[in-house]
Amino acid sequence: MQTGRYFAISVMSVLCCHAVIASNFVISPMSESQIQGAIFIDSLSVPSPGEVFAAMNKVCRPNWATLVLPISAPVSTERSQLALAVGVLSANGYIAVEAQDGQQVKNVGREMMSVAKSLGISESLMGRGNSLIQFADNSDWEALAGELEATENEVKATMVGQKDKELVTLTSAAAWLRGLQVVTTVILASPTLQGAEVIDQSSLARHLLLQLDALPIRVRKSERVITVHDSLDQIAAILEKRNKLPDSLLEKKRIEIQKIHQLAAGAVQAIMTSASAPSQIPSIPPIPMPRIPGVPEVHGVSNNSPAVITPSKP
Amino acid sequence: MLAASRSDGGKGSDPKFLTDQESPEPLNPAPPVPTESRRLALETAAAFENEGFRIRDSEWQNSLSKGQSAFLQICLFSGNQYWFVAASPTNAVKIRMVVYDPSGKPLKSDSWQDGGAHPGSRAALGFAPTISGMYFVAVEFLDIPGGSPNDVCFVYAYK
Repeated sequence: MQTGRYFAISVMSVLCCHAVIASNFVISPMSESQIQGAIFIDSLSVPSPGEVFAAMNKVCRPNWATLVLPISAPVSTERSQLALAVGVLSANGYIAVEAQDGQQVKNVGREMMSVAKSLGISESLMGRGNSLIQFADNSDWEALAGELEATENEVKATMVGQKDKELVTLTSAAAWLRGLQVVTTVILASPTLQGAEVIDQSSLARHLLLQLDALPIRVRKSERVITVHDSLDQIAAILEKRNKLPDSLLEKKRIEIQKIHQLAAGAVQAIMTSASAPSQIPSIPPIPMPRIPGVPEVHGVSNNSPAVITPSKP
Repeated sequence: MLAASRSDGGKGSDPKFLTDQESPEPLNPAPPVPTESRRLALETAAAFENEGFRIRDSEWQNSLSKGQSAFLQICLFSGNQYWFVAASPTNAVKIRMVVYDPSGKPLKSDSWQDGGAHPGSRAALGFAPTISGMYFVAVEFLDIPGGSPNDVCFVYAYK
């Protein structure tokens, strides 16, 4: 619109001329009660995977094409698992957008529609599905990112409408875990753990945990919800401890990030596994750890065994 | 509206800021009501889309009295740039936004106020965190003509 364009130009020109407007007010720090009472909104306070990946793109240029993993929606009647799957698929869609892989975006859209159908909310999403296909065909990546978020939000809104408000938390937690899995893959591939600061979101992990703790018992007792909860709990603890590590302890940080990666990957795998089928997620190939002279070699941590470090002879 | 449950030793609620429990997530499954404040906020944020920013597909809307602050928790990532936008349909209100770090300390940021067709009714705040974390953005009316609580809508964009 001409009006909109003129407005945009005027806003940006004012901003350029007056980059910082000094405030005449003295602004006090927040009080403890203000911090405790701050408003947390799932769709606003929980970042979209696109934000996480945008931050990673600033620090390093991940090869997103290698991070795209075709994943099928799990065959399940368990609503909590389906809600979790929506989150994982949504994050997958963002990865496909970063990789500019139109076919994968369409595949993700198709899988999301399949899950939505199982949840009984597919009718309202038909338009979204068609938009995803159209944007993918036109390679309109920016529009696709917006449409993915809108699709996820519409699924969440419909869950609320079906009196399944608690499922919204599951979707957000799963999207975060899938994003964490991918981002830690990228970080671990760097000899200097480039991008590690992006995942320092212990408060977010704790918030998601609080929301999971507030779920009705019938949802909380689901095996997959328990797995997601436990993974988030351990991840939050690692992130809180990590913040206190000095930068010089690079290898120790690497071990911690590897643990986070394993926890996130394990949770995603549990989410996307159909009740009666083997895991549908192809394993992410082992990350080749760069050898740093004088530093012990570190092996990955398996899901069910304690960390094993086998120092190599110097 | 119910006061928030206190985790600070049972002190009374402070009417000067809107709490999480007084501003719960909407249960209405219908799409957001296209209010004028929302339209203005999105129109303002659209200016940043031209600079490569993506607008989050979500917003916060509520009514605030003069001097009453709403503190919104927003998860920010180091390396990203953000523009926070707040808008009200009433001309000549004065909106202020402040960003705080995870410990509640106010931070410097770029700011913009509408001085054109809708004076004071739109504000934008630019911020680029150096540390990832859960930040707070406060939205407040410094002035409201007539004094009644006024609608405000908050959105944000990132790149």
